[in-house]
Order: sequence, then C-alpha cells, then structure tokens
Amino acid sequence: MTAAPRPRLAALAGAVGLVLADSSIVVLALPDIYRELDTSVAGVTWVLVSFNLVMALAAVPAAHLARRIGPGRAAAIGLAVFAGAGIACGLATELSTLIAARCVQALGGAVAVTAALELLPATVGSERRAVTIWAAAGATGAALGPAVGGLMTELVSWQSIFLIQAPAAIAAGVPVLAVARHEAATGIVAAELRSTGRPHLLANLALAMTSAAIAAALFLLVLLLIEGWRLTPIGAAIVVSAMPLAALLGARIGPGAGSARARAAAGAILVSGGLGGLALLPRAEVALTLPPQLLVGIGLALVLSALTETALEGRAPQAIHGGWTISARHAGVAVGLIVLTPVFTADIAEQRREAIDAGTAVVLDSRVDPLLKLELAQRIDERLEGERGRVPTIGPAFEPLPEDPEDRAEVLVLREELQDQLDRAATHSFSPSFGLGALLGLLALIPIGLARRVDL
Amino acid sequence: MSAERPGVRGGLLVLASALASLALVLAYLAAGGGSYSPATVKDPCEPREWRDPGSLEEIAEQFSLSALDGAACELGVTRETLARALATPQSRRRFTERYGIDDEELGQAVRAGLLRAVDDAERAGALPAFLGEPLRETVREIPPEQAIELIQNARSLLDDLQSFVDPARDFLEQFFR
Repeated sequence: MTAAPRPRLAALAGAVGLVLADSSIVVLALPDIYRELDTSVAGVTWVLVSFNLVMALAAVPAAHLARRIGPGRAAAIGLAVFAGAGIACGLATELSTLIAARCVQALGGAVAVTAALELLPATVGSERRAVTIWAAAGATGAALGPAVGGLMTELVSWQSIFLIQAPAAIAAGVPVLAVARHEAATGIVAAELRSTGRPHLLANLALAMTSAAIAAALFLLVLLLIEGWRLTPIGAAIVVSAMPLAALLGARIGPGAGSARARAAAGAILVSGGLGGLALLPRAEVALTLPPQLLVGIGLALVLSALTETALEGRAPQAIHGGWTISARHAGVAVGLIVLTPVFTADIAEQRREAIDAGTAVVLDSRVDPLLKLELAQRIDERLEGERGRVPTIGPAFEPLPEDPEDRAEVLVLREELQDQLDRAATHSFSPSFGLGALLGLLALIPIGLARRVDL
Repeated sequence: MSAERPGVRGGLLVLASALASLALVLAYLAAGGGSYSPATVKDPCEPREWRDPGSLEEIAEQFSLSALDGAACELGVTRETLARALATPQSRRRFTERYGIDDEELGQAVRAGLLRAVDDAERAGALPAFLGEPLRETVREIPPEQAIELIQNARSLLDDLQSFVDPARDFLEQFFR
C-alpha cells in the first residue's frame, strides 16, 4: 500500500524544490559566513561551488542508484542524508566543516531529486506531466532560494538556513516512506530496470552554459548589493526577488510562443542582455538593476524549461536523463563560479586600490583646512585597514564632523565625493565578470542552434 | 493552423528578445555605463599645476603636495598612496614592508621630493628665484630620517614645512605684500 497520490505529489515536489533551492539559498548568506568564519571571498564561494559540483558529479550515478535500490527507498535515504548534513552545516564553526557538510548534503540531494523524477510518473499518471511538475518545482525552488536565504539570514542567522531544512526534508520524506515499504514488500524494483539511452549532449551543454550565466547574474548581483553597495541581506533579498518574479512571468510564455529551440534561443539572448546591462550599470542605484533582472528572469524561465524539455523528450528512463540535466545545470553553476571568482576578486582588489587613490586625491586637492585634511587622510587609512580589503563605507571616517559651518560643508562635499569614488569602484569591479557571464549566455546559442541540425 | 505559424512566432520571440536586450545595453551605454569607474589619479612624475597661492599657508600646503609628488615619483607609487603611508607610524611601517624598502630609501625619496617641491614652487612663481638655491642646500643637508619625520607626523607637517622655510619667511611675506 503506497501513500495517497496528493500528499505524495506535494512531498515529492517539495523535496525537489527544497534540494534545488539549496544550490542558491546560501547566496545572500555568503557575506555573513565570510565574516563569521573569517575567510576570503574566494574561500566562501566554495560553500556554493562544492554543493553544485557534487550535485553535478552525483546526479547521474544517483539516478542509477535510485533505479537499482528503488526510487522510494532512495528518496527516503537521500532526504535523510540531506537533513542530517543540513544540521551539520548549521552547526559548522569552520569553513572546511561547512564545505564538507555541503558536499554530503549535495549527495543526499542528488539521490532525492532524481528518485523523485522516477516516482512522479506513477504519482501523476503521465511521464510528460511528471517532467513538467519536476522542472517547475526545481525552478521555483532555485528562484525562491536567494530571497528565503536572505530573509532567514537577516531575521535569524545564516545557520538557520540549514537548520530549517532538516524538518522540511523529514516532512517531505514521510509520505515517501510508504513507497519504500511497498518496494521492499513487492520487490518491484528489479523488474523495472531498463537500458538507458545516450543523453542529449547539445541540450545539456547549452543548459550548462546558460546555468553558468544565470549563476553569474545571481551570485555577482548579490555580492555587488551587499559587499559593494552595502545593502543588508534582507534589502538585497527584496531587490533580487525581481528575478524570480520575472521568471514567473517568463514561465507563462509556454510552447505556444514557439518551438523549444526558439524559446531556448530567446531565453539565452535575454539572459545575456540582462547580464550586459548589469555589466554597464551607469550608476550605483538599486533601481537600475531591475530592468536587467527582468530580462534575466524571463530569460532563465524560457531557456531552462525549453532545454530541459528538449533533453528529456523521447528519452527513457526519465530519471537518468533528468539526472543528466541536473548534472549539466549544476556543473555549469560550479564552473561558472570557479571561473568568475578569481576574475572578480582580482577586479575588486584593483578597483578598491584605484578608488582609494581617487578618493585620497579628492581629499588632498580639496580646499579644507590642511591640518584637517591630514587628519582625514589618517582616519581614512585606519578605516581602510579595518575593512580587510573589502570596499569600505567611508562615512565614519569623517566623524565627528567639524563644528565650523564652512569646514563642515566642505567635509560633507568631500565625503560625498569619496563615497562616489568607492561606489564607482565597487560597481565597476563587477563589470568584467557580468560581461563574461553575458558572453557565456551568447555562446550557449551555438549548441542551441546546432541542436536542430545534429540531434544527438 | 498552418505549419509555419509556430516557426514565425518563435522567430518573433527571438527577435523581440534581441531587441529588448539591445535596447537595454544601448540605454545603459548612453547613460554613461561604459565609463562609470573611479577617477584615474595623476602620474606623480608629471608636473602638477599650483593653485594661485593666496597666503604663506597655501604655499606651504602646495609645497608639501609637490614634495609628496616628487617622493612618490622616486618610489614608483602614487602621491595618494604615499600620503596615506605617511599618515601614521603604523601606516608607514605597512608601506615599507609592502614595497620592500627601508627607512633610508624612504628618507632619500622624501628628500628628492622636497627638492622637486622647491623646483615646482619656483616654476609656479611662488618662491623668489634667489631663495631657491639656499632652500635646496638646506634640503640636501637634512638627514633622511629627519626628512621622513618631517612629514610622518601629519599634524605638524605644515608647521615643520613652515619652519623649514622660516629663514625665508620675511622675504616671502614681503614678496606677497
């Protein structure tokens, strides 16, 4: 006797959403983790990279495992591992422990997600509908992840992001246990083993490339907002919510709007256009990130659904080919982050130096009292050292303001000019990485274009 | 429904996406997105215009900035980096460690900077020609360590610079009045 379809469907969709949200949920918590665990930007990136890398490597073997031991049992085990590793993440006090726990979490997640795809057709009655629900649950989770993570970080702590996942994973696992018991009782698993065909190489390659571009958009934008423009995690969560909201809009553009290839191409172009806009921000203003986010959001909904559809169409078994799409997407995210991190960390360091020099020049060439000027240079230097290489908020270096009204007015102008230089530097330092992301999105048009001619 | 319709709709979707992307990129470029970056600081080895000095204090300030330019040029760093380095003993130590130089080299660079400041002051017409050579002689006599101390203590920098030009104070004031 298996669980009733409706609770099981909710549990499976919830499990997929929960696991795939995890590839992005920590994005807004990274600055807090970075500070609390006393690491570097490059180091903290591995909290994200490790999860995606292990998901990429484990997705296909996990799908095979799910078919071998039974998807119900695999999903239950996967969710239990995911929950346990989540608790370990939440209790980690060192970066290495956190990264190790994230790897284990990804292993459990990979098994749960691919097993869910194997279980869904029996639950909803058709493979096509199962794929739609599976893809939608994953996209929803991935899109909501950063906003939820930002809220949790701001309202509770970064640890709460992981700790809350344990009860959620257990709740999703309960209805699946009945399936696992049914499998054990009937021995149905071995009879369902079928041979697997080759994955759709071009669709999966395009998925990897566009996922790398989308990861660049999300990850870099969050860092720009929090580390560069000094927004709080909750503020950044609200700003980056524009992307999933736009994705909901994009999800309404269904197959009626054109072939999967056309939707994939349109999506890749929109993602690139949005990233191009982020690379060319004309000022450090939150509102200016909204039009690019709109394009990226609509684009990601179009391209991910069209490519997943293409990769799975006419291929069986779905779990294995679904595993390939998970693998491609997470490999893209991991590679994108690995490639982009050194680029933008080097750029941040360089731009910071330039901004500090430009700001100091403003102070030196100003008309404020020379002694006050020298005192300001001293305070600014102390402020910079205290920031350990991050883009600083320079305001406190100007406190207390001079009492003399004329000096005060001059110093306020100086403070504004200096902060402007820092804003310019912070924004500009992300431009090459956003530009690289845009290029990746455009390059995805090659496999998308070829897919029609050479359907592998 | 004709077989071509989905293809036409797909083509329109791609075209609309391309136009929207292009419009965004062009709009941001037109708004200055391509040049939104920190200002570039001037090369300290290039001569810098002196502001029209209104008082001895302003001369002293521009003199110190010229000295910073000259020393920074000698060391191959920006004037701004050196100004921050000389703000406190701690920042000076960080600077010498980072650039692998000792106090002797820093002192010599600062002395070279002070000589450059005399040249700049003369060129700007802020210093009578007959005062230039005695000032150069005085600068050449300053031990490197003292030259550093002269601008290491930020608060007394201007006082020190003023005391440095004290022998010429009467002439300077006469010159400006």
